[in-house]
Order: sequence, then structure tokens, then C-alpha cells
Amino acid sequence: MNLENDLRRVLRRESPPAGFAGRVLERIEREPARKPRAWWHAAAASVTLAAVLGGYGAYRVAEHRRGEFAKEQVLTAMRIAGEKVKYAQEEVRAIGSHD
Amino acid sequence: MTAIVADAVGFSGALERAKAGDHDAFAELIERHEAMVYSLGYHFFGDRSRAEEVAQDVFLQLYRNLGTIESDSHLLYWLRQVTTRRCIDSARRTRLKAVSLEDAGELSASTKSPDPFLDRRLRQYIEDLPEMQRAVVTLRYQEDLDPSEICRIVGMPVNTVKSHLHRALQALRRKLEKLS
Repeated sequence: MNLENDLRRVLRRESPPAGFAGRVLERIEREPARKPRAWWHAAAASVTLAAVLGGYGAYRVAEHRRGEFAKEQVLTAMRIAGEKVKYAQEEVRAIGSHD
Repeated sequence: MTAIVADAVGFSGALERAKAGDHDAFAELIERHEAMVYSLGYHFFGDRSRAEEVAQDVFLQLYRNLGTIESDSHLLYWLRQVTTRRCIDSARRTRLKAVSLEDAGELSASTKSPDPFLDRRLRQYIEDLPEMQRAVVTLRYQEDLDPSEICRIVGMPVNTVKSHLHRALQALRRKLEKLS
């Protein structure tokens, strides 16, 4: 008895019942929506992701601009305040010289 | 093995046409490989309807993944890998216990074996092996693959494959000796 030969004989390839390819193709035909739906899902996911990323990018740009504007306002306010202080000092100095 | 590999080479026209959406070309691919895929399932489960179901699922999965198949040899490797893994996963999920005696008898009759009784017992012993040993034995003796090729399909180190094969053959020998 040669076990390996026996295994090769017992485990030889066999054909499936006739019409196998046709049955597979029928199943493929029955599921035609699967591929387009997958495409739509992928496309919808891409658009959503692009919208989210784009929105986040726009938000960051707007935030940056708002920050820049606020900084400008603070600097302007400080410049005005400085000028007022300088003016007050000059007034005080002028009053002192009259005395 | 050379014959089996050669059997699959030279159909790149059908593969390319199937990838382009040609259903006739896909049917041609099925017909080229259906015996291999179906037999892997049949020898694993010992059940024709289960083998048909697995084989159909494999070709359906192939249809959805045709774009990833690079060549005819890649197709052959892909089919062996997906079929084997589906069989192991399915068996682990259901712990399906296989064949009816009529089914086994039918097989023995069709093989024109010198000893139909021995063949039937041997099939039963193969079905009693643990899943991984059964898969390795089927790939080794149905597909005539070396352990170095089997290890790529089942995703295990080659020494583990050799060990599974060795243990499976030992178990089969032991049972057959008891029988005689």
C-alpha cells in the first residue's frame, strides 16, 4: 500500500455538476446593483470628505483672518492710546513751565 | 505540479477580456478553473452541495476583484488561496461534519478504484483530520503543491506546513494500519 498514491487517487480533481459557469453568471446577473452602488458609495464618501476638509480649511483661513484683524485693531488702539498719553504728558509739561 | 500550472497559463486573453467586462471571457475563466476550485471544496467538506456553494462564492468574489488580478498565474494562486481560506473559515464557523455514505460511494464508483472500500475509508479519515491538516493534505495531493507553495496559500511558515502534513500522514497511516 502506498499512501501517497492512494491520496492522489482519492483527491483527484473532479468537475462540478454541469452548468456550473452558468449558475455563477446567473448569480452575478442577480446582483448587478452591487458594483454601481459600491461606486456611488465611494463617490459619495469622497465628496463628503472633500466637503469636510474644504470646510475645515475655509474655517481655518477665516479664523486666521479674524485673528489678523483683531491684532491690527489692538495695535491701532495701543497707538492711539500712546498718542493720547504723549499729548497729556506734553500738556502737563506745558502747565509746569507756566508756573 | 508542472502540468497543473501549465494548464492555467496561456489564457491571458480571456483574463484581459473578462477584466474589460466581457462575460463570455469570465465564463471561460470559470470553466478553466471550476474543477480545481470545486474539488478543493469537495475534498475539504466531502459534500457536493457545500462544495458547489463555496465554489460559486469564490467565483463571485473573483468577479468583484478581477481588477486586482495581474496574470494567469496570479489568478491560479488567488483562487487556491481564497478557496482554501473560505473552506477553513466556513468549517470553523459551522463545524460542519461531512459526507453521507451515498456521496462517498458515488465518488468511489466514479474513480474506478482498485479498492473502493479503502478509498471510502480514506476519504472519511481525511474528513476527520483537523481543518488545517485537511487543507494542507488537499493542496499537497490534489494540487500537487510543495510545502513551500502551500505555505504562501495558507499564510504559515513552511515548517508549520511540513509539520501539519507530517502529522496528517501519520494519523492516516495509523488509521489505515488498524483497518488492515
